[in-house]
Amino acid sequence: MACLCFPSTTPLPRFPSLSPRVSITKIFPSSISLFGPSRFRSHGVDLRSQATAATLTVDYRTPGEETLDTGPPRILLEVRDLSAIVAESRQEILRGVNLIINEGEVHAIMGKNGSGKSTFAKVLVGHPDYEVTGGTVSFKGEDLLNMEPEMRSHAGVFMSFQSPVEIPGVSNMDFLLMACNARREKRGEPALSPIEFFGFLSPKLVAVNMNPKFLDRNVNEGFSGGEKKRNEILQLAVLEAELAILDEIDSGLDVDALQDVAKAVNGLLTPHKSLLMITHYQRLLDYIKPSYVHIMEAGAIVRTGSFSLAKQLEKEGYRSVSVA
Amino acid sequence: MRPPRRRRLLLQPKAVAASHPAAVSLSDPFVLDIADMLEDSVSSFSSSSSSVLQTLRDASSHSLLSQRWPTHKDEPYRFTDTSFLKSSKILPAVPPSTISPSFSSPSSNLITFVDGHFMPSLSSLSSLPAGAFAGSAADITPGPLYDTVMASAGDAFHHGDLFWNLNGLGAPDLTVIYIPDGERMIDEPLRLRFYSAAASETGLGRLPLSNPRVLVVSGKLAELAIVEEHLEAESCEGNGCYWSNSVVEILVEEGGKVSHSYVQMQSRNAAHIKWTFVRQEKCSTYELVEISTGGKLSRHNLHVQQLGPDTTTELSAFHVAQSDQIQDLHSRLVLEHPRGYSRQLHKCIVSSSSGHAIFDGNIKVNRFAQQTDAGQLTRTLLLAPRATANIKPNLQIIADDVKCSHGAAISDLEEDQLFYFQARGIDVKTARDALVFSFGVEILARIPFEPYRKSVSDRVKELLTAS
Repeated sequence: MACLCFPSTTPLPRFPSLSPRVSITKIFPSSISLFGPSRFRSHGVDLRSQATAATLTVDYRTPGEETLDTGPPRILLEVRDLSAIVAESRQEILRGVNLIINEGEVHAIMGKNGSGKSTFAKVLVGHPDYEVTGGTVSFKGEDLLNMEPEMRSHAGVFMSFQSPVEIPGVSNMDFLLMACNARREKRGEPALSPIEFFGFLSPKLVAVNMNPKFLDRNVNEGFSGGEKKRNEILQLAVLEAELAILDEIDSGLDVDALQDVAKAVNGLLTPHKSLLMITHYQRLLDYIKPSYVHIMEAGAIVRTGSFSLAKQLEKEGYRSVSVA
Repeated sequence: MRPPRRRRLLLQPKAVAASHPAAVSLSDPFVLDIADMLEDSVSSFSSSSSSVLQTLRDASSHSLLSQRWPTHKDEPYRFTDTSFLKSSKILPAVPPSTISPSFSSPSSNLITFVDGHFMPSLSSLSSLPAGAFAGSAADITPGPLYDTVMASAGDAFHHGDLFWNLNGLGAPDLTVIYIPDGERMIDEPLRLRFYSAAASETGLGRLPLSNPRVLVVSGKLAELAIVEEHLEAESCEGNGCYWSNSVVEILVEEGGKVSHSYVQMQSRNAAHIKWTFVRQEKCSTYELVEISTGGKLSRHNLHVQQLGPDTTTELSAFHVAQSDQIQDLHSRLVLEHPRGYSRQLHKCIVSSSSGHAIFDGNIKVNRFAQQTDAGQLTRTLLLAPRATANIKPNLQIIADDVKCSHGAAISDLEEDQLFYFQARGIDVKTARDALVFSFGVEILARIPFEPYRKSVSDRVKELLTAS
């Protein structure tokens, strides 16, 4: 068992995984935070004050994964002063959101109902209900806001829907194959035949604990809450997105279903994939450990911290973390 | 030249005037011209002067005298523009003397009609069960079947409109198919293929009119599957002008079950007007799956009459109206006995601003039809600006202990569904095509024969994607 600690001046190495192997132990005031100020780019937050409270220790690593990459972390998503309104009512929802997600990081956004969390997620994937009124979003250095929703998906952004829509008449298999081949076509790869695709899909079905019978059913039609969420994760697995935005993936799930979904998500995480979770509850974060927790309020990220911020929130409510 | 012929049609003007006081004044010259023309044309088919046919023709011409060409002031044609027919020169369809080999088909239990004429050489009847009958009404020997056929030819069908009667007058023959009691004909369905071969080129304003007429009698406890297709001969290359005016009558006897697939894929320059008249004896089941994508003017009149209690009726229809197409379903289900169960689902896509969908779905629950359970749902997708749908679901309920529901929805594609596709990397065009096609899948999936279901689905998909 190696307890790995890095000096704050050293950029974070590629973590082998932020799966259950990474665990929050206890606060070691003497140990050095993983979160160097240089990596903490959310605006308007006193990063240093968070640093000592946020201590991650990795209690186990396999030798093969110890390929320490000392280069600077690659920025995956950079959101600057993003503001957006509801297209129909012109109501302002996002008022200057700033966020940076590096490759391999797990972030969580928490906040009260109506604080703009889900809107933020939808704006990132280009939902037509919202209109961006200011700010920039770059993904792997490219302007995300200029892309059509399908281009954003091809670029590697994925959002799991809070309540995925039912599509009667389109089988899950056909839908997944269409999505997979659209992406392959974009990448100049030959389309998969249904049989080839099934071979590609089988291990992913196992990973999300999904019965192959689901492939014959229509997309989300008559699915239970847990089945819909697992189906979203299956789509994520098929599309192999680099940034997965999970919008309340825990809503409407019982503990067992939540564990299933969390296990599937953890199974998909690699050192190069990033995750942005949107949730109300710490419970989800117990299963999928975030490196950063952001609090959203009135359309902006008002605080950023470590997992302990989520704990504080759970214990004392939003009033304790609110800046207002 | 014409007046003497007209006099022949008005054989008994006094008797007609007595029974229909308004009849004479309502005589419509346009209708009488068509009737004259049909009467001349059928008299040339010498072989078909059976007493059944004569009865049918007499009854039809009698009714025709009181019928005029429908206008938008007539409720059943309020939304259906028949001016295409009215402005055309209507001629009797004369089937080609040589039959193109493209008609031939290896299928068993096949009955082929070309321009309304039963074609034994293109049919395959050797596999019909023992005791079954398929052929001209003239060949039926006296007995119960003869009586049934005769009754149906002679009894005026009060809901029959002008087109019903024009068919009765102009049908070159009445083809009868009888399936004996207790027989099962499910795996190898009875295939009725209606081809239109006598077609005029576009732009000439001529419409060859054909009047196929079939009566299917399914015996007690018999189970029968029917696949009815209305196609056009390959020689017309998909754009021939003609008017197919067909009638299919089905009698489902006690405890029997008829599963009926009706596919209409005629030319986009053609008129397809069809009557389906179904009578259900007690404890019988009738299931209809209707797919209609062809025709410039396509009108299906469906009448289901309950003759006894405990019947089951399931009606599904999927129509596609593209540019310059009218797709019309007028259905009427009359329940007069207790414990009838019925479900109707009508779905329609109008994909062009010059496309027009019409649905008038009437369900009548009369006084003695207690404990009826009737449900009706109609859904229309309007995919283009100014695309038109006139939807008129109507339930008339007199019995007081019934369960009836109906619903109607007209919409464009759901934005949420489109976005879901896009969010998974699928472009809008592909997403729209998939969603438009999926709208009809619910009905297409009800076609009971897998290879046939697939071939029809593929054709519909091709049609929808091309537009």
